[in-house]
Parts: sequence; C-alpha cells; structure tokens
Amino acid sequence: MIRLHHIPFSRSFRILWLLEEMGLDAELKHYSITDGSLRASEFKAISPVGRVPALEIDGLTIYESGAIIEYLTETRPEHGLGRLAGDAERVPFLEWLGFAETQASVLASLNMQHLFMGDPTPASPVVLKLEAARLAATLKAMERTLGERDWLLESGFSAADTMMGFNLFSAPYYVEMDRFQNLAAYRARIEARPAYQRAREKDGPQEFYKKEFYPVPEV
Amino acid sequence: MKITLHHAHEARSFRVLWLLEEMGLDYELVVHNFFDKSLRSPDYLEINPAARVPALEIDGKVIVESGASVEYLCEIFPEKGLGRPAGDAERMEYLDMLHYAESIGQHMANLTQAHIVLYKPEMRSPTQMNLEARRLHKVLGRLERQLSDGRDYLLASGFSGADCAVGYGVEVAKRFVSFGDLPHCAAYGARIAARPAYQRSLPPEDVQRIYTKDFYEAPDV
Repeated sequence: MIRLHHIPFSRSFRILWLLEEMGLDAELKHYSITDGSLRASEFKAISPVGRVPALEIDGLTIYESGAIIEYLTETRPEHGLGRLAGDAERVPFLEWLGFAETQASVLASLNMQHLFMGDPTPASPVVLKLEAARLAATLKAMERTLGERDWLLESGFSAADTMMGFNLFSAPYYVEMDRFQNLAAYRARIEARPAYQRAREKDGPQEFYKKEFYPVPEV
Repeated sequence: MKITLHHAHEARSFRVLWLLEEMGLDYELVVHNFFDKSLRSPDYLEINPAARVPALEIDGKVIVESGASVEYLCEIFPEKGLGRPAGDAERMEYLDMLHYAESIGQHMANLTQAHIVLYKPEMRSPTQMNLEARRLHKVLGRLERQLSDGRDYLLASGFSGADCAVGYGVEVAKRFVSFGDLPHCAAYGARIAARPAYQRSLPPEDVQRIYTKDFYEAPDV
C-alpha cells in the first residue's frame, strides 16, 4: 500500500504527479493549510514537523520530496524516470533535483512573506524585491536550457521534470512570465501529459493565493 | 581524477569541502570572497553562470548544487564508505537526510540574508526574522527525533555523507536558534565539530567571515 499525505498546490504535488506517471495506485490523504489538520495528532504521528509531503511506502515513511523522487525512481526502475548511479545523465539529474529545491526555497520564502504574515504584509520591501529577482534569475537559467530541448534532460522526460510540478505553477504569482517563451511552451507540454492531468484532477483547489499576481512593492 | 572545489568560507560549499577531507581525496581548493564581486568575474561565470558556490569540477563535469555534489562523490568513491548505495538497508533514510539538509538550509539562508547581508535595520522585517527562526527551530525537531535513540550520527550504522550535508546546517543554525530544548542536536553539533576533517575545513584565523557573532538574536516585533 502506498499513501501520500498531500496539500493541493504544494511540493507534494510533485509526488502525486510522479505516482501517476508511474501508474502506481496510492491512497491520497488531503490536508488543508487553513483548518488545522496539519497540526492534528494523527498527522503529527506521521509527520512530526507537520509538513507535506509524507509518503508511506514499502513499510517506510519518507518526507523530503527530492528523496521521495530518488527513492521511487530507484526502486521502480522499470518506468525509466530516474537516471540512476552510473547513468551518463546522473549528474544533471541530481543537479536538477537540487536546482528545483533551490528555486522552491525562494518560492516558499515569497509565499511566507506575501501570504502568511498578515495583510498588508509586514515583510521588508527590500527582501521581497531581492527574492523576486532571485526567482527571475533561476527562471532565466531554465529558459536557456529549454531553448535547446523539450525536457530538463537531453534524453527526454524524467522525474526531474516532476519536481517542477510545484515551482512552475507558483512562480507566475511573483514574476511576469511573458518574457519566458520557452518556459511557457514547456509548461504547455507538461499540461498535455495525461498523467499530469490525472494528478491535477486529484489535487484539489489551491488555498494559497487570493490574487492573480503579487507585485514587488515600491522600495 | 582531478577535482577542483570552488568555495567561500562558511558558505554551503563547506559541506563539500568537509566531505573531501573526510574522504582524504586530493583536490585543488579555490577560495572566493563571498562579499566582493569575485563570484561575478567572467572566469567564474564560465564555470558557474549562477555565480554561486559550490562549484565542483570533476572529471570534466561541473556540479553546482551542494547536495548533488555530496551524493555524487559518495557514489563514485564507494570504497570510502560514506554513501549508502541503492539497495542498502539505510538507503531511504540516507536520501531523506541528504534532502533534509536543504530544509534546514533554506531557513538558515533566509536568516543569514536578513541578519547579515541586509546591513541596515530598516531593510529587514522583524516579523519575518522571528518567523524564520521559529521555522528553523521546528525543522530541527526532526533531527532531534532522529537522534533520540542515542545514535552518534544521522544513520545508526555511523558517519556518512549525509552528516556533512546536515551537520553544516546545524552549526550555522546554532547562531540563530537556541538549542536549549534540542539536547541531541546540541550534542551532535559538538560531535561533528570535533572531527579532525571538519576542523581542517574551517577558515583560517585571519580571513573575512560570513558569521562574526556567536548568536544573532531575532529583533522584537
């Protein structure tokens, strides 16, 4: 039995999507950022720090989305979605997993400052501006790569792309995406994948963003 | 195999430097200044367009993420015994701990930015600084639990590359959160800092450092 503890539109969507790409049946447990379910004792027993994702699988529980992606692709190599030790693309595969988390940490910081500190936010305009610029720089790096190929790795679609299942859908709230045409085409390719579509159907409505766009305040 | 590590004292590249020392590998160390423009020099941008450290040059490849560098080094030097390869009983825990290092790392980086990189108080948000410190403390709760069975290192079988990834974060985190209610984390920090390879990786006395205070108190809100 596989069980994924999930919040719509969060990092756990990476895992939900990958499970669909692999055709693995998983029980989905939904949580909400607003109703206190993350702090409930049953969830604390599973995830002591109260964060998603948490994946119960093979008698184990794994918490970090990057680790889950490595573990799933390694233990289920028949799906061909990892680039395992010894593979010619091993280094870029691991780097993209790391890159995705570097980028996600900027998004998480923007989420915290724009969404969870009050309205109007007492965040520092200097920090918000810095973080948005940092996010734009990471998107620019992706834009270059995706000008040369359809997916993050040259050999084709991989689990590294599923790491973007959180990032690419959160970034447009903070950075104008018009100037990233390759990224737009990449996102369209993702959205055309049946496994992605099935995952979105199971995902649920997002509760993070109340506005279409959160601009950088005047400094 | 020629190995070159691009490093800035006390930055995330410390993880890779410390691991290289634990492995006893020959490598060339290039130290960059974290504060001036040297990471933006045309020569360095050739190596890493993102202008960040680490960059690990190995075997004609460049690896720029510290977690990927640690994982890869442990993988290609299995005789050093610092990885837990696929199929190992501790594989899942090893991977989870490697990635957990960045759960610590992101709060640590946000706090470093707020307390140190932003040099004027009016650039900072006290609310954010307090929240980040609380989140860092909460994330360390996972490590406290991991160590609560009395083990010395992250994995029951002993020291691994995951300790280099997480241990660096613990040492920096000490400057932003009190470890008073995290006794296992505190003891773990002391244990890793006593390792000869760790000590060899520390900056020399007379250089500019990122962290000049033992503790950075979050401002009152």
